[in-house]
Parts: sequence; structure tokens; C-alpha cells
Amino acid sequence: MPAVTPALAAIIFSAGAVSGTLGALLGLGGGVFLVPFLNLVLGFPFGVAAAISLTTVIATSSTVSAGRAGRQLINMRLGMLLEVATAGGSFLGGITAHLIAQSLLQRLFGIVAAVVAMIMLTRLRRRNVILDPAADPGVLGGRYYEDESATTVTYRVRRLPVALGASFLAGNVSSLLGIGGGIVKVPILNAWCGIPLRAAAATSAFMIGVTATAGGVIYYGRGQLEPTLAAAAVLGVQIGSWGGMRFGATASAKWLKALMAVVLFVVSAMMFARGGR
Amino acid sequence: MTRGERHAGALRLERMIGRVLRAGVTTSSVCLASGLLWTMAEGTSAPARLLLQTGIVVLLATPVARVVVSVAEYVVERDWGFATLTAIVLLELLASALAALVFNRRL
Repeated sequence: MPAVTPALAAIIFSAGAVSGTLGALLGLGGGVFLVPFLNLVLGFPFGVAAAISLTTVIATSSTVSAGRAGRQLINMRLGMLLEVATAGGSFLGGITAHLIAQSLLQRLFGIVAAVVAMIMLTRLRRRNVILDPAADPGVLGGRYYEDESATTVTYRVRRLPVALGASFLAGNVSSLLGIGGGIVKVPILNAWCGIPLRAAAATSAFMIGVTATAGGVIYYGRGQLEPTLAAAAVLGVQIGSWGGMRFGATASAKWLKALMAVVLFVVSAMMFARGGR
Repeated sequence: MTRGERHAGALRLERMIGRVLRAGVTTSSVCLASGLLWTMAEGTSAPARLLLQTGIVVLLATPVARVVVSVAEYVVERDWGFATLTAIVLLELLASALAALVFNRRL
């Protein structure tokens, strides 16, 4: 366990603020930036980095979702259905994390991130939207008001088994690697299941609190969570995601998709560099 | 159930969940911030550690509380399908807590 100093706490607080801003913008937990920073830059053991990151994921999810509640952007029913898969995957990941070689997981993660980024880039201009506002979205679909186009967006959920499979994988990756798992499921929900990016990101941000708790509590039980450093990271992320949310409301969906693809490529390269060692 | 009723119930649940999340995250942030400042100012002490641990536990408990509220609301609405789904999520979270206790050798 790293020695706790005020300087280290300040560095982690700042890293949390940056991760939180980017995470809120992209509908990711922010852990996708924090874990590589803690692990590669500060040299924390992977499990310690993952444990800190998972607590920030819970905080981001709770803050972002509390701010969005009542605006119908979060698809609660779909989220709660998919949580059955993410929490299961996260539980399995949590109890097996210490049995699997990290280098193998990191390389696998690098492949997944790169593939997902390419899917995002090829579908930049696709809009999964039913423009007739009277259309029935079905039990799992949704509708929300989009500020930038001043229209009510309606959508149906397609290929539910794909969404469930992606969610299970996302939950598994979440507790193994200490991220929210939005990196896996948001692009798949958007590209294959008919869910607009904004709604997919909001629903994912809502779900990752439960996902990260299922994994995080196991790290906590194993004694891998340093409370002081976790506190610094959580508070940094809180401030960062608060800022990111304000900026996110004005950002265009196309711009978000492109930024997310770039982020995924960078994460992929970092994971390969790490896992190949 | 009509679409209007389902919509009203969904909106009520969404607001309730928003309040639970905000309360949990505020409580935990206050505990974590005071515990962190205390530790930075005077080094590790028993009350500072207690504040930090409380902050972490409240943070971990917040999504669990959100799921409990959802189960209760779906039961009240007699939406048995979603009551079952959210109850399964709750059981999965309890399984994780149990695994944590096992790893911690407290069971």
C-alpha cells in the first residue's frame, strides 16, 4: 500500500478532477483514465488502483444520475433490467480478479477498446431516432427532450440479448479492471440496440454505480482500498464531474462520439503497452 | 395499467431515486472531505479514520439503497416483473457483500 502524504493526496485529487470531467462528458465512469494514471504513472499495484477507481465510479454515477433524475434521459427500466447482467458479471469478476494474470486481461481489454472505437467512428452520422413523437417506444424504449434539436426523441430497444451480453461483459470488465464498464456497453447499446448515444450514456452512467459497488465492495473486503487516497480521488472526481455535466449539455452528439473513439484508442494503446511487458 | 399511470409511476420513482442518490453522495462527500482534511492537517487519528471509513461505507451503500427503493416502488405499483428483476440485482449485491466478508475472513 502506498504511503499517504499530502502531496500524493493532492496529485490524486487533481487526477480525479480531470477523470471526472472527461467521464461525465463521455458517460464513462472516469476510471478509464484514473486506473492507468494510478497504475502506470504513480506505480500503484493494479488492485489498489482498481479499488480507488471503483469508489470514484460509484460517486460519479450517483452525482450524475441525481442531477439527471426526473428529466427522462435515463432509461430506468432498461437500466434496471441490464443491471441484472452487469451486477452478475461484476460479482464474478470481483471474486476471480486475483486469479487471472493482469497482462492477459490488459491485452484483451486493449482489443475490445480498439474494436469499440472503430464501431463508433463508422457510425458517427447514424441517428437511432423515431421522429414521430406519437410512436410507442414499447416497454423498454424511451423518449426524452433533446435541447439542441428542440425535439422529443423516441426510440425502441432492439436486440435485447446483445444488450444483456454486452452488459454482462461490461460488469465483468468493470470489477476486473476498476472501470465503470460504460466503455464496453455504451457503444454497443448505441450501435446495435437502437439507443441514442445521449440516452445510452445516461443509462450507463446510472447503472455503473450498482456495477462498481458489486466489484468495489469485494476489493474493500480484501483490504485493497486505502480510505484516504480514495477520499482524495472521490472528491476530485465529484468536482470534475460537476463541471463536465455543465459542459456536456451543450456538446453535440457527433462531437461526443468522435472524442469517445479517440479516448478508446488511447486507452487501448496504453493497455497494450502495459500488458505486453 | 394505462400508459399515463405507468408514466406517473416512473417519474415518481425517478425523483425518489434522485433524492436517495443525492443524500448518499452528499453524506459520504462530507465525511470523506472532513476525514481527509483532518488527516492532512494532523496526521492519522482514530476519529479521522472513522470519518473516512464512514464515508466509504455510505458511498458503497448508496447504490444498494437505490436498488432497495426501486424494489419497494415496483412492489407498490404491483409491477411484478420489474420487482423481480430489481430483487435479483439486490441479491447479487448481497452476494458481493458476502464475498467481501469471506475474503476479509470475517465469516
